[in-house]
Amino acid sequence: MAQILFYAFALFTLACAVGVVVNKNAVNAAMCLLLALVGVAGLFVQLDAYLLAFLLLLVYAGAVVALFLFIVMLLDTKDTASRGFRKVSTFASVFALGLLATGVSAFALRGRLTTPNPNLAAAVGTDLKHYAYQLFTTYLLPVQVIGFLLLIAMLGVIVLSKRWEGLDDIK
Amino acid sequence: MNLEVVKLAAADNQWGAIFPELMLACLALALLGLEIVLPKKLHVYIPDFALSGLVGTLAGLLFNFRPATLGHDTFNGLLHHSEPGQVMRAFFLLVAILVCVLARVSLAKQKMPRIEFYHLVLIVTGAMMLLAQSNHFVMLFVALETVTIGFYILVSYFRTSTASLEAGLKYLVMGALSSGMLLFGIALLYGVAGNPDLPAHTASAMNFNALAQFLAANPHHFLASTGIVLVLAGVAFKIGAFPFQIWVPDVYQGAPTPVTAFLAVGSKAAGFAVLLILARDVFASYAWLVMPVLTAMAAATIVFGNLAALTQHNVKRLIGLSGVSHAGFLLLGVVASATVPMAQGAIYFYLFAYLIASFAVFGVMTHVAGANDSDQDLDHYAGLAKESPFLAAVLAIGLGSLAGIPPLAGFMGKLFIFISAFQGGARWLLALAAAGVVISIYYYFGWIKAAFFEQWTPPADTADPRPARTPVSFVSGLTLGSLALASVLLGFYQGPLGQWLTMK
Repeated sequence: MAQILFYAFALFTLACAVGVVVNKNAVNAAMCLLLALVGVAGLFVQLDAYLLAFLLLLVYAGAVVALFLFIVMLLDTKDTASRGFRKVSTFASVFALGLLATGVSAFALRGRLTTPNPNLAAAVGTDLKHYAYQLFTTYLLPVQVIGFLLLIAMLGVIVLSKRWEGLDDIK
Repeated sequence: MNLEVVKLAAADNQWGAIFPELMLACLALALLGLEIVLPKKLHVYIPDFALSGLVGTLAGLLFNFRPATLGHDTFNGLLHHSEPGQVMRAFFLLVAILVCVLARVSLAKQKMPRIEFYHLVLIVTGAMMLLAQSNHFVMLFVALETVTIGFYILVSYFRTSTASLEAGLKYLVMGALSSGMLLFGIALLYGVAGNPDLPAHTASAMNFNALAQFLAANPHHFLASTGIVLVLAGVAFKIGAFPFQIWVPDVYQGAPTPVTAFLAVGSKAAGFAVLLILARDVFASYAWLVMPVLTAMAAATIVFGNLAALTQHNVKRLIGLSGVSHAGFLLLGVVASATVPMAQGAIYFYLFAYLIASFAVFGVMTHVAGANDSDQDLDHYAGLAKESPFLAAVLAIGLGSLAGIPPLAGFMGKLFIFISAFQGGARWLLALAAAGVVISIYYYFGWIKAAFFEQWTPPADTADPRPARTPVSFVSGLTLGSLALASVLLGFYQGPLGQWLTMK
């Protein structure tokens, strides 16, 4: 049963990811991205990583992609005539595809992708309490730094988008 | 889970160990507070406040250069305090001071909000200082992202200029790609090192010490090597090494000149600080993989940087591409540092020489540039020697040092790197680097020629195409003068600094 569920979610995720790339309509592409994220969240649930699954749904599918959709609709992009591939981009794509195929086959042949024995794995707390405990003890410094990261991100948005006309403090 | 357990776990968070970073953070917040509180006519003094705070922090750091935590881990192994870490802290503070001095000149030509610029510089500097001391991938990534996001804003800061916005967008896309690669690499390493079937597997695989032990026990693991290569690629983006240099010319040209200087010196040095930690300590048992990759990268970077810089007419693109070749020379040092103990000190000396020379050149650039910051052509330097001999002299010394002309500091830096590369046995790479130096002399002297030997004849029918030069104020004159002096003095006498840096 777990096998079937895994393949179902994996195929669903991949199909949606392809949909993001090939869709010409930006709104449809964003919707596909949302579904792909739901698929990944399903895979996380199967790994017993419930918190990660919920965070993915809440933050990425819920907030980030919704924001994407909002912006796409706000910009109201017309269906621009798609340009054909230039020779150099075709060549680059084929080259990249070759690299990708080499990489994937190398992973399959040499990666020694064995399933680890689950009994040997150290028990890792997956509940919210465990994460919170870690965040406020071991990882307190990165949390503080991220506070400053968010501060400068907000500041940057203001500096780069605020209207200045009529402000006399700017020379 | 009672309070005692939490207290015990938090006991290792010794905030005193990162006092300079805390100072910068408080200073940055204070700037924003002052902007709200102070009346508008006093706002001109806020940059001075930032500058004096930075100088004070640097003085405090140098005064207490060997704190009690030196050689220990703090914050539960997130940070490791070492002597190179202290050197890099002082380096980044010096960079921030010089960026602020340049920003005073450069921002005066634009209609821009000022205070936020200094705030961003302070936060980015603090993050770089943490980055150079990180001992854990979580800390490394968070600090690196803070630096990168700060730079996204700083690069597009002159938002009325389309070049600046374009540069910001390009840096954003490229930076996101490089962060993605770095994260993939970290995730692979974390996953492999947590596999309970492998020897020396660890639950805290993000920690550099635990990861190094795991890698030493599994010296030829395929997934681990893939992760290592991806992490190296992510770092190579930051230092602008070939083939990840693609963003350099456009971003360097579009960014405001002080930010270009910050990128060229600060961001690159941060990348090398991380690369040294990773390549020498963490990935030491994968030297069979890391060193050939870095060697190939160094060779390609030196060749590409020098050849691409040859044809440039815009000085910002020129210095950006020449910066790529400097990254190549530094990579040569990193390759040598695997076997030669002196190489690490040589890299730090090179970084300091590069800092001094680059900021001399960037300082002159901010004075010569007009209101259109991205349009700085070699032709604008015509007649500089006659009209402002001071700026021309500083420019000549700075460029000479960058080119590696004896007896300037840049020459000694290159010499130390080349000696360690020679001892490390990378002969053919050394020959390539020497050829690169010869090429670099050509384009650096093209710039000096423009400033000294081109006679300026004003065109009869049109207005003067050269932008008006800013008169040199006392502070910037003092800074530029001491940078030029330091370039000369460090070439003759390295003193205890050079001894400490090279004799390790």
